[in-house]
Amino acid sequence: MSDRILIQKDWSPQFKNKLMALLPQGANLSLCLTCGACSSGCPASGLSDMDPRKFVRMVALGMDQELIRHPWVWLCSMCKRCSYVCPMNIDIAAMVFEGRKLWPREERPKGILGSCDMALKNDSCSAMGTPEEDFRFVVEDMLEEVRTNQPGWEALQAPIDKQGAHFFLSQNSREPVTEPEEMAPLWKILHLVGADWTYSCTGWGGENYCMFLADDEGWKTITEKTLKQAMRLGCKVYLNTECGHSTFSVWMGQKRHKIETDLIIAPMVSYYAQWIREGKLKVNSDWNKELQVKFTVQDPCNQVRKGFGDKLADELRFVTEACVGAENVIEMWPNKSNNYCCGGGGGYLQSGYKEARLHYGRLKHEQIARTGTAYVITPCHNCHAQIDELGQHFGQGAYRTVHLWTIIALSLGILGENERAYLGPDLVEVNLPGY
Amino acid sequence: MMSKKTTGAVLIAGGGIGGIQAALDLANSGYYVYLVEKNASIGGVMSQLDKTFPTNDCSMCIMSPKLVEVGRHMNIELITLAEIKDVRGELGNFEVDVFQRARYVDMEKCIACSACAEKCPKKVADEYNRRLIKRKAIYVQYPQAVPLKYAIDARHCLKLTKGKCGNCEKACPAGAVNFADTDKNVTVRVGAIILAPGFSTYDPAGKLIYAYDNNPDVVTSIEFERLLSASGPNQGHVVRLSDHREPKRIAWLQCVGSRDLNTCDNSHCSAVCCMYAIKQAIIAKEHAPDLACTIFYMDMRTHGKGFESCYNEAREKYGIRFVRCKVHSVFPETGENRGQVLDFMDEQTGKWTREMFDIVVLSVGMEIAGDVRILADKLGIGLTDAGFCQTASFDPVSTSRPGVYVCGAFQGPKDIPQTVVEAGAAAMRAGVSLAAGRYTLTRSITPPPERNIYGERPRVGVFVCHCGINIGSVIDVPAVRDYAAGLPFVEYVGDNMYSCSQDTQDAITRLIQEQNLNRIVVAACTPRTHDPLFQETLLNAGLNKYLFEMVNIRNHGSWVHKDYPAAATEKAKDLVRMAVAKVAQCQALEEAQLEIDRNALVIGGGLSGMTAALALANQGYPVHLVEREAQLGGQANRLYQTARGESIQDGLDALRIAVENHPGIRTLLNARLTNVDGFVGNFVTTMDQEGRAETIRHGVAVIATGATESRPTEYAYGQDPRVLTTLALDERLRRKDTSLMGVQTAVFIQCVGSRELGRPYCSRVCCTHSVAAAVHLKELNPEMNIFVLYRDIRTYGEREKIYKTAREKGVVFIRFGLENKPRVTVAENSLTIEVLDHVLKRPLLIQADLLTLAAAVTPYKDEQLARFFKVPMNADGFFAEAHVKLAPSNFATDGVFLCGLAHYPKPIDESIAQAQAAASSATRLLAQKTIRTSGTVAYATPLDCSSCGVCLAVCPYNAPFMRTEGPFAGRADINPVLCKGCGACVASCRSGALRLKGFEEAQIMAMIECA
Repeated sequence: MSDRILIQKDWSPQFKNKLMALLPQGANLSLCLTCGACSSGCPASGLSDMDPRKFVRMVALGMDQELIRHPWVWLCSMCKRCSYVCPMNIDIAAMVFEGRKLWPREERPKGILGSCDMALKNDSCSAMGTPEEDFRFVVEDMLEEVRTNQPGWEALQAPIDKQGAHFFLSQNSREPVTEPEEMAPLWKILHLVGADWTYSCTGWGGENYCMFLADDEGWKTITEKTLKQAMRLGCKVYLNTECGHSTFSVWMGQKRHKIETDLIIAPMVSYYAQWIREGKLKVNSDWNKELQVKFTVQDPCNQVRKGFGDKLADELRFVTEACVGAENVIEMWPNKSNNYCCGGGGGYLQSGYKEARLHYGRLKHEQIARTGTAYVITPCHNCHAQIDELGQHFGQGAYRTVHLWTIIALSLGILGENERAYLGPDLVEVNLPGY
Repeated sequence: MMSKKTTGAVLIAGGGIGGIQAALDLANSGYYVYLVEKNASIGGVMSQLDKTFPTNDCSMCIMSPKLVEVGRHMNIELITLAEIKDVRGELGNFEVDVFQRARYVDMEKCIACSACAEKCPKKVADEYNRRLIKRKAIYVQYPQAVPLKYAIDARHCLKLTKGKCGNCEKACPAGAVNFADTDKNVTVRVGAIILAPGFSTYDPAGKLIYAYDNNPDVVTSIEFERLLSASGPNQGHVVRLSDHREPKRIAWLQCVGSRDLNTCDNSHCSAVCCMYAIKQAIIAKEHAPDLACTIFYMDMRTHGKGFESCYNEAREKYGIRFVRCKVHSVFPETGENRGQVLDFMDEQTGKWTREMFDIVVLSVGMEIAGDVRILADKLGIGLTDAGFCQTASFDPVSTSRPGVYVCGAFQGPKDIPQTVVEAGAAAMRAGVSLAAGRYTLTRSITPPPERNIYGERPRVGVFVCHCGINIGSVIDVPAVRDYAAGLPFVEYVGDNMYSCSQDTQDAITRLIQEQNLNRIVVAACTPRTHDPLFQETLLNAGLNKYLFEMVNIRNHGSWVHKDYPAAATEKAKDLVRMAVAKVAQCQALEEAQLEIDRNALVIGGGLSGMTAALALANQGYPVHLVEREAQLGGQANRLYQTARGESIQDGLDALRIAVENHPGIRTLLNARLTNVDGFVGNFVTTMDQEGRAETIRHGVAVIATGATESRPTEYAYGQDPRVLTTLALDERLRRKDTSLMGVQTAVFIQCVGSRELGRPYCSRVCCTHSVAAAVHLKELNPEMNIFVLYRDIRTYGEREKIYKTAREKGVVFIRFGLENKPRVTVAENSLTIEVLDHVLKRPLLIQADLLTLAAAVTPYKDEQLARFFKVPMNADGFFAEAHVKLAPSNFATDGVFLCGLAHYPKPIDESIAQAQAAASSATRLLAQKTIRTSGTVAYATPLDCSSCGVCLAVCPYNAPFMRTEGPFAGRADINPVLCKGCGACVASCRSGALRLKGFEEAQIMAMIECA
């Protein structure tokens, strides 16, 4: 009977032993009390008849044959909400990461595999394969358009390969490839605060699908390439764009792969907050005083729980409240480091498991729906895409998703007409420049 | 070298139940005690509890007599608002610097009238009520506090902080407020120190996952305890604090701040939370039967005596739901459908589930507070990783510094009974070490001479108690009082908020003298706990203590008739009227005084018996140690190591040698008791030692007869040599049996014969034992595959550490339920154990070459011994102690004490502690040299006796006997020393020859006539 698990006398849990040897403190996996806290808080519980506790259990019981090519490793977004409460500090995400390696590389989800290979193939590190010269063209073209069409922005800069700039700014491929207008608000913000920054032609692609693919070599290659380029340009701060996984991949990749650098690797949101506190970014929420449009914030797992913690979550709220008014921010529960993953991370959007991904996201949708807000602020590309889709799929478009740069620019009155793709009719004409 | 004299005094740090018990033990056995308490009054955490498990006694009610006894004890000096600053010297001669904060109220003058607090304008968070409500800056912690004296909170008092106000000073009728009071440094000289600082609870503040911050509907268990309590912020009416609605659903989350290395750094199990959560759920359901209670847990740890049946009852009788899952986190839903959302895995369906609750109770664990750690450091005392006091299994209440002892939660997480046991043990250890100083520093006073009231017209005083709101909220106390004033012979009436408080006791004493009263009636709570207290008050006033009647208008009045206040008030009047009628006829009764034989008999030569024998002998009491086997040691002879890795054989050998070489201990091996006569202070026991009869006279007896490992009747036990019990495995480990190294796969099955029909209790020791054995096997051969099949892992307290070690070493734990127990198949080359994996819900087939069964610990059910000493056994066959909470090592039968496995299964450290506690209780008695018997005993009028003998047959205490000489030879008489005053003989006497003093026919008839 296949249901039975046979423990013969020479039983030896190979995968477990490998993990114990490989992971720091063996990921504490043998300490498991089977308490169920992980599975209780996991949106992927039940998918493929699996949950985090079962996964750890199968590893512990040496059920290696059943773990090889198990689809659940792609249905877990490695958001670490399990480890956040695990009384024994078991690093389940690290185990899932190794579990992904139990799939032969070429059999791993095509979307992730293709994006990783694409990024490895060109020096831009763009998962969309955008070559260096295309990137330069799109940026310059977009910059020219703003300078020309938006009065007052004639001196706007979008430097590329500027030697000695303070900030090295990474860029997710999505904007230059599919919606270049989305780049402009951030440039304007950087312009207003007088930031000395630069893009680079090589290594600008912030995304890192090799991390999702559990391809450690690829992860390292991409991180190393982008960091080295920032160092080559003499930058001081590696500034991650509003993208959760890219922030995490560089921040954690540097540590994990022991890449030597003096660069400060920082998330965007904390700088927004700093600039507002310093008075450089004079945002205000007057535009929303009468409108009372409600917002909620999504704490990206990769930046908050897995990265910079509740401090960053507080910064995110500080910035949002400054832009839309504290009374117009409605919290999702749970939130901050205890937030539910939306289901967009971990390569989910590219892995092809759409049905599972939407099921996973139902909790996020319910959370958002309970707030009754019109907008979800998501300083993360994967969150953005997933929540946008959740809103369509479950909520008939009841809420929309916006990047923080959109809202900052809106509140500053500098958000151009063509930079409002993600705003609804209620805001599409609010606080337009020049009025 | 002993040039310096031993100081016959002990300092006890901490006035919780542990410190209180240790103080009473020592003060009653010849030592002067300084009881140092950091708060304004003693009582500790127990005083904050509503009811106590498993009996659901009111915590305050059972504790209050002890508080009062400490408060009025002439050999206990209370130093409140104080902490230890420094300790110099060594065992026998310590100098302790104590820092005492100013009270700003003169204790001599304060009459606790509360006029000050009524006028105080400053409200302060009330720590006693866990900050759920406010008190004033001048305060008493709680109404029954000892000392019942107000204190000013210097941090908040307007006068002391800003120089304004001073209302209290003006309001005080006694002139007790003294703003010029100053902090003091006092140095006391003592021979030994006992640390009983207790614990603090884990603080969930600031942790997102508990949603405790700014959320009144998530409370800690100790806050919930206050909410349940009649003296708490909401008078015991449980409501959701956010909107004061009655809750429909309450959830308890276990292991908050325990067994958690993530949210906190507490790897230990707090040992008490499972049981208190069950208790709270039961009480909450008793308050509101429709309430749905759910307890979310990891392992249900109901390992104490009576706990498992309480757990079963909670499930089966009260319908409390137990969900085995650690909830991920709590998050609040606001608005109309407000509540706390919990996500969990439902074990039944295996599915992710979400439910809402009105209140979430966080079962917070025990921690050792920072100031206690600092104190330990200052004293040079070793702590464990978790911050508890380091001790050894064979000396469980000694710290690493000689002369400094420990008891209670600081020794390790534990409940009240175990704390009381350790308090006795610590008192014992301190007492033994200071035996040379006994009675050198104690004081004694004789109560005022008894006033002869013979021939006086009765002058009855009636005192009616409000018991806070316990009585007063239902019964119209002033009406009862006024009613009593009109009854015959009543000269004085009064009503008191808490009649048991010390100031009221003193007031009653004064009133008896001022009003020249000669009979007293107190209408209050139960005489079972409070009779002795009021009787002592009579003694202090120079009245014979039997000129007293107590009326229970609380348990029999306000509690049972709470919905009928008018009728309850009438009933109280009726009861008072009857009591007055009776007390008017009461006469002074005499108590016989008799000598106590200094010899002690210890029955059972195992670890517990030997420890008790040694403890008594070391204080100079001759001990007869009786063992039925040919050698000392009992079950410990078969054991390998303690959970802490100490060699049991080494410890046992040391103890055995000490016992064998002690000149004061006479050991009788191969001996059995054949008869026991006599009574407390004067037992006569006959013995058979290999055909030789012997009679021993002794004043006390300690029953330490132990228990044994049951013989499994399942899992192929007895069919295959590879299947053995834990003790058999221990023997092989002890022998260093090399064949164990060749074992490839070992399996342990837990609860073999425990927690099942027929033997419903938990055997307490087996989880730790098996887990430790698994670790030993892993140490022998790290490659060995080990599986432990269990129902709940109960490695309570710091024993959790060995469970963690086992997991670290790769031992796999698999849980099973009673409904699908493992199946064992024996084959030529291997055993196959089939069990359903609790996580995957799939059958596991384990091929093993060693199967160890954790067989139940089973009592001997020695009914003959129980009969000899007239001591009871519980349904399981373990001996039943006098009180599960506060007298765990005593029997209701005076002069007989209990310890070890005969009481309940327990590990070595607890057995030794209980043996020392039993010896401590015995010492309290032996140290008195004489005892008084009760005055309410039966007596015979031989002229009326028809010699039928029925009285001899019905008496459970052997008090009646037939006279053998004199004019009434052949007629019955009563030995007043043995008589317990139960009245069975009186009721059975057909000739009317027997009467009961204090319950004379005329008295009873008087009650009936005015009923």
